[in-house]
Amino acid sequence: MKLRVFTYAVLVIGCVFAVFPYLLTVLTAFKGPGQLSETMPWEPGLPPSTAAFDRLFGSGFGGYLVNTALVTAGITLGQVVFAILAAYAFARLSFPGRDALFWVYLSTLMVPPVVTMIPLYLMMQKLGLVDTWAGLMLPTMLGTPYAIFLLRQFFRGIPADLEDAARIDGAGRVRTLVSIVLPLSKPILVTVTTLAVVANWNSFLWPLIVTSSEDKRLLSVGIALFKGEIGVDYNAVMAGSLIALAPLLVLFVVFQRFIVRSVAVTGLK
Amino acid sequence: MLRPGPRQAPRRNRGIGRGRQTAAAYALLAPSLVGVLGFLLAPVVIVLVLSLFDWKLLATPEFVGLANYRKLFTDSDVWHSMLVTLYYVVICVPGTTILSLLLALLVDRKLRGMKYFRALLVIPWMATPVALGLVWSWIFDPGRGALNQFLGVFGIDGPAWLSSPVLAMPSVAAVHIWQFAGYNMLFFLAGLQNIPRTLREASSLDGASPVAHFFTITLPLLRPTMLFVLITNVIGSFQAFDTIFVMTEGGPGDSTEVATYLIYDEAFKKFDFGYASTISVLLFAVVLVATISQFAYFERRTTYEVSG
Repeated sequence: MKLRVFTYAVLVIGCVFAVFPYLLTVLTAFKGPGQLSETMPWEPGLPPSTAAFDRLFGSGFGGYLVNTALVTAGITLGQVVFAILAAYAFARLSFPGRDALFWVYLSTLMVPPVVTMIPLYLMMQKLGLVDTWAGLMLPTMLGTPYAIFLLRQFFRGIPADLEDAARIDGAGRVRTLVSIVLPLSKPILVTVTTLAVVANWNSFLWPLIVTSSEDKRLLSVGIALFKGEIGVDYNAVMAGSLIALAPLLVLFVVFQRFIVRSVAVTGLK
Repeated sequence: MLRPGPRQAPRRNRGIGRGRQTAAAYALLAPSLVGVLGFLLAPVVIVLVLSLFDWKLLATPEFVGLANYRKLFTDSDVWHSMLVTLYYVVICVPGTTILSLLLALLVDRKLRGMKYFRALLVIPWMATPVALGLVWSWIFDPGRGALNQFLGVFGIDGPAWLSSPVLAMPSVAAVHIWQFAGYNMLFFLAGLQNIPRTLREASSLDGASPVAHFFTITLPLLRPTMLFVLITNVIGSFQAFDTIFVMTEGGPGDSTEVATYLIYDEAFKKFDFGYASTISVLLFAVVLVATISQFAYFERRTTYEVSG
């Protein structure tokens, strides 16, 4: 009995810690000018004001938002489609070099992104892709070893008999993949897509390096530069942070059950 | 952990030639081959080559052999940043691992509403690092920040967290732990749920205390999970960049200048690509050694401790 009360108490404190910075972001973003210095940071300011958002969008933030949404969608789509193809080949086809190649894919998980940053930049320079959409998206959208690994594990668990049946009925490889394998793989596809969206939406170092013009700026870079440009306009910085966080929170609320379960199950096999 | 499964016998070779299957496989792999070989593996090779050159922006690259490496070994900035990185890893990895294991033990209990607690605890992992870094900078703000205001309620005069060379690093590391404890909790939770419940009943029948049960049964059986969590966290903390970039920019002084930040600085502020590549090689080597030695350690220990 005592143990149960203790468990709940610790968990409530833990959750307050987990959520507090988000709450603070919301409260601060909607505070009016002057309210910040009068109230405690965690006190709601009354009445709520959208002045910080007006300042933010007045300085081009809307464009960053659109850019981030489009780039995230584009990279994620590429990553998921190409990962499905590769994972299917690794899971179901037999070909020379398969196991060795799979090891190569996995070993790249150990390479710190900052190590590849300089060569990638120089490559993009050679290709004339610095400060272009292609340069921003290409290096990350083609190969994602982690997604390929997770999908391969899942595909291997699907009974091969189902596919054999379809193939006897005359379905080709692509047809089998699309109409048999993928519908059975919904949970893992949701997870892989969510992981990719989170990573792409949040990505910072590569966009910071490879783009320089403002019309190609992404949210995270915009927010980071904002700190310097606006100085200590905390309201505007929080409003920007809120906009960066909100879509991921919505995503999380919608897919929470899938993510919590399948991160827990698939990450370890 | 990440291990290709046992070699599978080719199953459906009826009706499709081996050559055609190989062609189909490589066609499916083509885009990811470009990505993995071209944009992940080739850069590693290139960075090794670059580290042998003196290459400043606009100047012609000049082959200098191991000169960059000689400079590396006498460059106190580099060793300082490696120590700072190690310090960061040494706070973050045990901090995240222990906290996430404790949280997993709590949410593993079958009580009402547990799934909501699990979900709430994972929320920090969703954070856009740059955005949350700024939120935390403000929480740590000495004047109007939430932390010192809160301490002020109890009459405590809080320090200037991020502008103190002593406190800046632990503060930044605390944000890292905050961000990843809930996420890693999920892996421990999965590990705990894979342990048969009957083991718990058996050990409590034998009169073992919960603490003894934890150390003799639960912890040894969590070994694979522990290895996974440790390795991903070590690799992750060695690469920390975003939060540090917005919270301290490596400062005050150079007290939070981790290796990634130094590399970024050398390459994209001073445009010294050759030397920045050399530091990258050093960082990569350290990550590699750290990862491999964890594997080795766990492989060696697992065999006798599970039976003992």
